[in-house]
Amino acid sequence: MNRHHAFTNGYAAYPRGHGSTFSISPHRFQPRPQPALRRRKQLIQRLFLIGGVSLLLLVLIFPSWRAALLPVVSLGLLSSGEDTQIQTVRYYDLSAVQGTGNGWEKGERVLMCTPLRDASSHLPMFFSHLRNMTYPHHLIDLAFLVSDSKDDTLGMLNRMLEELQTDSDPKMPYGEISVIQKDFGQKVTQDVESRHGFAAQAGRRKLMAQARNWLLSATLRPTHSWVYWRDADVETAPFTIIEDLMRHDKDVIVPNVWRPLPDWLGGEQPYDLNSWQESETALALAETLDEDAVIVEGYAEYATWRPHLAYLRDPYGDPDMEMELDGVGGVSILAKAKVFRSGVHFPAFSFEKHAETEAFGKMAKRMGFSVVGLPHYTIWHLYEPSVDDLRHMEEMEEERKAREKEESEQAERSARVNNLFRDIKPESEADNAIIRDNMQTEKDELTASENPKKPEAGKAEEATAQKPPKVPGQEDQKASDSWKSKDLKDAEEVPAIKPAKEQAGVAHDE
Amino acid sequence: MAVARPMRRTSPITFILAAFLAFGFLVFLLSPSPSAATTTNADSSQQRREGAAENPLSPPTKPFLKSQPVRDDGYQAPPPVVHYNLNSLTSTSESAVKGERVLILTPLARFYQGFWDNVVKLSYPHELISIGFIVPNTKDGNTAVAALEEAIGKTQSGPVDSRFASVSILRQDFDPPLQSQDEKERHKLENQKKRRESMSRARNSLLFTTLGPDTSWVLWLDSDIVESPHSLIQDLTAHNAPVIVPNCYQRYYNNDKKKWDVRPYDFNSWIDSGSAQSLAESMGPDDILLEGYAELPTYRTLMAYLANTDDPNPKRVMELDGVGGTALMVKADVHRDGAMFPPFPFYHLVETEGFAKMAKRLGYQAFGLPDYFVYHFNE
Repeated sequence: MNRHHAFTNGYAAYPRGHGSTFSISPHRFQPRPQPALRRRKQLIQRLFLIGGVSLLLLVLIFPSWRAALLPVVSLGLLSSGEDTQIQTVRYYDLSAVQGTGNGWEKGERVLMCTPLRDASSHLPMFFSHLRNMTYPHHLIDLAFLVSDSKDDTLGMLNRMLEELQTDSDPKMPYGEISVIQKDFGQKVTQDVESRHGFAAQAGRRKLMAQARNWLLSATLRPTHSWVYWRDADVETAPFTIIEDLMRHDKDVIVPNVWRPLPDWLGGEQPYDLNSWQESETALALAETLDEDAVIVEGYAEYATWRPHLAYLRDPYGDPDMEMELDGVGGVSILAKAKVFRSGVHFPAFSFEKHAETEAFGKMAKRMGFSVVGLPHYTIWHLYEPSVDDLRHMEEMEEERKAREKEESEQAERSARVNNLFRDIKPESEADNAIIRDNMQTEKDELTASENPKKPEAGKAEEATAQKPPKVPGQEDQKASDSWKSKDLKDAEEVPAIKPAKEQAGVAHDE
Repeated sequence: MAVARPMRRTSPITFILAAFLAFGFLVFLLSPSPSAATTTNADSSQQRREGAAENPLSPPTKPFLKSQPVRDDGYQAPPPVVHYNLNSLTSTSESAVKGERVLILTPLARFYQGFWDNVVKLSYPHELISIGFIVPNTKDGNTAVAALEEAIGKTQSGPVDSRFASVSILRQDFDPPLQSQDEKERHKLENQKKRRESMSRARNSLLFTTLGPDTSWVLWLDSDIVESPHSLIQDLTAHNAPVIVPNCYQRYYNNDKKKWDVRPYDFNSWIDSGSAQSLAESMGPDDILLEGYAELPTYRTLMAYLANTDDPNPKRVMELDGVGGTALMVKADVHRDGAMFPPFPFYHLVETEGFAKMAKRLGYQAFGLPDYFVYHFNE
């Protein structure tokens, strides 16, 4: 920043040429644009710097001005920025999303709805199903409703969904994923007994219906051709289930739902009794009930005599066989989106004396949609033992324990008996053998009495006379061992006595 | 002279002044002017930006960003996992203050510029308003959509403040049973049932596909409502009622009095009567009760006739059993619980009247404002 390179009179600040101050060489008045230009450049740079800093300050101090700053900085070129960045108008033609029998070929979008409550234990199983679904994943939008959960359902769901969406396999991620949180103040606890108790059913079903409606109304889009309702606690289902159900091209379609059981309960059992055909008895019964009453299937209180989808299953039947239904169960429903668009929902009030999925089927029927079940196409619900089952299992467990205890006691007793009252047959035989031997030797002696070997035989007799008293005294291990070694030679029953001894030893150890 | 300039320019004071000036200039450019127009502009702009969804696969009540992220491996990034906490979604009497989102739903058969102008003039913050239309897939519908899209295009590219959060246009997937939209033909009794059942399906299709997870209130507004108070949304939500309906009137030229006058138009808002109920009991399960027909003497109390046009008290509220749909404010929760417009005789009622009945079955009471008017187009 040397500003004093020239005097005001125009002379150079320092001598040029040959040290002569007054040199008038033609180079004297050569203009010096370089420093001037540089200065101007510097000034401009500084101005820009200051402008930038002040802008930055503004942005930092007043974040709300950011939106205003952007267009100003871009000199109005981007002033219509929202137009280019944000799309506000959407256009949909609903006649393009009617739903056909081969939707996966036509790229029809499916909304998959799953209501969840305290379901963290089912999620890993559910996600393994999701990963294996064969319907093109990008055409499926997932919708979850997490309500009144006391466990970590939400956190777990998040982690697993993130994992699913960031999967390296480009075919794995699903379409739009919505996780809805809404608590309905569930008064009924979720354990199996109270869940399936008759008295609680009507209220519980209405709350469930409400939850389903909230989930659907928040996530159904004009782009959906199909809606697939799937519970998280389905244990086994074909991966092709969406295509399998879609192929029938019905407005509402449900598979048969069974559940596996432990062997002592018969191995398997119909689970979903909400899929049925209407019967005269049930209609007559409905007439007698008041406006808010709800008929629930599967309880002795209402004998409806309806043909249930579940009971019509033949394991070897044609899985494509269809059956007209009036009420449906909610474990796995595939419905065309137009059914829901035209207003069919899960009534949270008593609709024709039904609520939730059963009333859904009734309402769909009322609006002229086809409602169909597949009796021989089965998916398997998770088996959760009921309180009765649990009690029974407890009883069985106790029985088993008692039996085991008895057995072990029996074993112990027999071991003790074995120890106390040892089978002395081999020993006695050994003794007998010795005695026989002795007798033999005596005989020999007798025969040899004529022979002059008497003192030797007397010695041997002395020895045998000494030993017999030791035989029962088994405390003397060495003695018995010595006996054993002797027995080995003489008695054949030795192997029989050995196991008995070992068993006794085991019993003692215990 | 050429010598003096650098001296002046190089004074440090100049720089300070320049900086000060630059700062002042920027402040002047960007500062919110006291007229407050810019403030809301900036706020709403930001709100819009933040409210926008990342992916086109998102609720229609949200605008979405056009540019889509791409994954490292070159594939387009899958849609994100989006959370909606509906526990914190409120619908209260201070709707505008709490920033509650309103969805205006309109079944559209014909486009009236007056209707759109009236909607644009609504004083509720526009960034909180989403609009949904459903238009029949007919020739008339095409004309209406063309006109509608032009009007929407103008508004959505106009001043930021008057732009709506999002607009969805749906084309109906079924044909309306009645080709003629002619007033007389439309109101014939035998045609009414079919017409209103089809109307119900249209309303339900529109409602359940556009409701989304963010809506607090749903305002049903017919496409032939051409005049309403600008504070319509605030006024209706202020009552904090699950279902509330203003009185729908029509302006006409009174030849007797030789001046413009008003007359009641919508007769679907009523209080039930004993004779209507006994009439319903004598009907078959597929018959419906309709209001305003001599064949069906219901003797219901009609809100249309309860208005006090001379000395109106717009805050006066009455309980109703049936509601009309020309203008109808509903808490989104009511629809979410399942209250829809029955396209089949529901307690011998269809469409909006059946809706009021269904809401009642779900535990929601409908209300009416006999002295609060909206005006129907006069053809």
